[in-house]
Amino acid sequence: MKEKKEKQEETTQIIVFKLGEEEFGVNILQVREIEKLDQGITRVPRAPHFVEGIINLRGEIIPIVDLRARFGLTLPELGLNSRVIIVEVGEALVGMLVDAVEEVLRIPVSAIEPAPTITKGVDSYFLAGVAKIDERLVVLLNLERTLSPEEEKELNEAELG
Amino acid sequence: MEVSQYLNVFMDECQEHLQTLNQSLLALEQDPENTEILNSIFRAAHTLKGASATMGFNKMSNVTHELEDVLSLLRQNELQVSAELVNVLFEALDLLEVLAQGIAEGREEDVEITGVIQNLQKFGNKERKAGPTQTEERRKTLQLRYLPAEIEHIKEMASTGLTLNHLHVYLQEDCLLKGARAFMILRELEAHGDVVRTIPTSKELEDEQFENEFIIGILSKKPLDFLVRFLEKMLDVAKVEGETISPEALLVERRGVQTNANTNGDPDHQKTSYTKAPSNVSPTVRVDIRKLDDLMNLVGELVITRSRLEQLSSEKGDQIMEETVEQLSRLTMDLRDQVLKTRMVPVDHVFSRFPRLVRDLARETGKEIQLQITGAETELDRTVIDEIVDPMVHIIRNCVDHGIETPEERNALGKPNPGTVELNAYQAGNNVVIEISDDGAGLKLDKIRAKALERGVVSAEELENMDEEEISNLIFLPGFSTSEKVTDISGRGVGMDVVKTQITNLGGIVQLQSVEGEGTKFTIRLPLTLAIIQTLIVQLGNDVFAIPSTLIDQTISVAKKDIKLLRNREVTFHRGEVIPLIRLQEFLEVQEAKNMALDELDVVVVSNGERRIGFVVDTLLRQQDVVIKSLGAYLGNIPGIAGATILGNGKIALILDLRSVA
Repeated sequence: MKEKKEKQEETTQIIVFKLGEEEFGVNILQVREIEKLDQGITRVPRAPHFVEGIINLRGEIIPIVDLRARFGLTLPELGLNSRVIIVEVGEALVGMLVDAVEEVLRIPVSAIEPAPTITKGVDSYFLAGVAKIDERLVVLLNLERTLSPEEEKELNEAELG
Repeated sequence: MEVSQYLNVFMDECQEHLQTLNQSLLALEQDPENTEILNSIFRAAHTLKGASATMGFNKMSNVTHELEDVLSLLRQNELQVSAELVNVLFEALDLLEVLAQGIAEGREEDVEITGVIQNLQKFGNKERKAGPTQTEERRKTLQLRYLPAEIEHIKEMASTGLTLNHLHVYLQEDCLLKGARAFMILRELEAHGDVVRTIPTSKELEDEQFENEFIIGILSKKPLDFLVRFLEKMLDVAKVEGETISPEALLVERRGVQTNANTNGDPDHQKTSYTKAPSNVSPTVRVDIRKLDDLMNLVGELVITRSRLEQLSSEKGDQIMEETVEQLSRLTMDLRDQVLKTRMVPVDHVFSRFPRLVRDLARETGKEIQLQITGAETELDRTVIDEIVDPMVHIIRNCVDHGIETPEERNALGKPNPGTVELNAYQAGNNVVIEISDDGAGLKLDKIRAKALERGVVSAEELENMDEEEISNLIFLPGFSTSEKVTDISGRGVGMDVVKTQITNLGGIVQLQSVEGEGTKFTIRLPLTLAIIQTLIVQLGNDVFAIPSTLIDQTISVAKKDIKLLRNREVTFHRGEVIPLIRLQEFLEVQEAKNMALDELDVVVVSNGERRIGFVVDTLLRQQDVVIKSLGAYLGNIPGIAGATILGNGKIALILDLRSVA
């Protein structure tokens, strides 16, 4: 069947971004927009450690999650290429702080495989799978889990393990 | 039919009708003879029946159907309003509320309805005969009415020499198979003329849905005498009364009126029920509350942009521009006020459910209580209205349970019966005040003192220094209940502290005044709206924060040398009072702050009604109205932070909730 209908094979589009040198991806349907970080982030005292703060997105208050802190990765400071990817999770908008946004990729669904237990230092709990495109390996995020405020416990366990 | 899109509309209407039913039933209990009230109850039940049947909510439609049956008997005077009946009706109403709740949660099917249905049927069927159903009275209720088309037909026939006769047939009491007998009579009669109509309808006659009598309207060439004698000769017929009717005297049947005998009351009765539209209701549009929220947000944005524009124009110094901006400002504020108003709902929304509550509580406790409501038209933001119900219910329960004495006690004390619970609402500036008072026993201060000591909520020393009002307000402390007997109305030991928390969460204040032997008065003070609040903007390090003005007692300036250490904590003395100080940066657990290095400190004194605490900031900036924005599920539950707002320069300021410390 794959041979027969190569052209009509089901595909999906992802936005590829970088945390450090590693490539990650999110389904484009969940992405609302991509923002530069020129307005600065307002810190929120006592917020969970992976919440960098909040920003004003045309009158809406959006929490910003630092994915590196979320995944427990140690990485250099944010640079000029840093962006905020605004995604929709459930009914809420959440911004994800990333080191750079690379490109939009159309990939066949068949290229997505389940993620191993730990991929590039990230627990598979947060992952929707791994996409192998030619030589590249893009780690696809499960946004519901990655950005859920209620998963602190699992997160801590993930960090310990 | 795609049900979900209509569900909201249905639920809204459902709530409205249930409310009408509730109010009208209470009124009916007081005034059983009032047909207008009865009609409004009937209409509400009827509409609910139709709506729930259309939506496929079978249980609700079953219950409303039975309810309607009982109500229609009431309308025909075949049933009398009795205490027992009213209770059954209230029971049915409560069940409908449970069903509505069930429908909203998608589990209507789980609700048990048989008990209530049986009770309704008891009145709907069996007791029908128990009413004043003497023949004389019933005869009046049996009246033949005709559709306009039928009347035309009769008039036409009259011109050809036919006359219309009404034959009122009474069957013998011991007649068996009444239905079959009626059918025979009709068939025999067809030989002598054209039966236009019967009451009850021929189908109902066949189904035996009638007592012992019916009326036949027949167009015939035969004289009336002949027809009467013809029928009198038939088996089981006890008596026949005949009457020739001129076509001009015919009663018209209105569309929408049920045609069976059971609902044909006297003509006036029907007039009131079908031609009288709801009277004092102005035309309205139903709008999703979320749309209003969006509108409110947009206006909030506009207010912010306006501030920015004001700033720019004042920097430019162009006079024409400044004037234009000023005008824009006024328009913006007017727009804001109007939008706020659209979100306002009269407190009647909440108050209207209390007569029922008080009635039920009075019955449960065997007390005589009248409820007086004033200021029900006072308006409050929708969001506040929804939250105020629970605390008010609790307070009213307390008034009834602990406040008002039993009739015997009141008589002994020379107090009037029934006792009075009063609800009063009015607007005072940017607040709405709700007062709940009773003329009952009042709080027994000695008991409160003893309990407070026993529970260890205050020390004997502290108690010494308290005035009566302060002692009364001790009942708002957690775990405090002075009721000697635990009833299921109140006195569970949870209560007043919860009431206080709920009201404080709304940005409101609750106070209590009580005179032993004379009564108690609760005063609730609420902000008009939760969407826009007045704040004091303060600076700390590089960030600005907004502190709601409602929390602020005063702002003071304290010299560094006036700060003392008491048990290792910073305090200052202000007008003879010790005020503990907290550095805002410590409370917020942030690093940057300049106030440690300052010689004169700006202190915001916050009060939660009991204690006062001074928060040390870097600088006081200004007072400002701000639009509250929620931080969402992510950050919504951080203690000390109530939300955020966007300032004129586009920067975000967090809104602090400092009560959690105080």
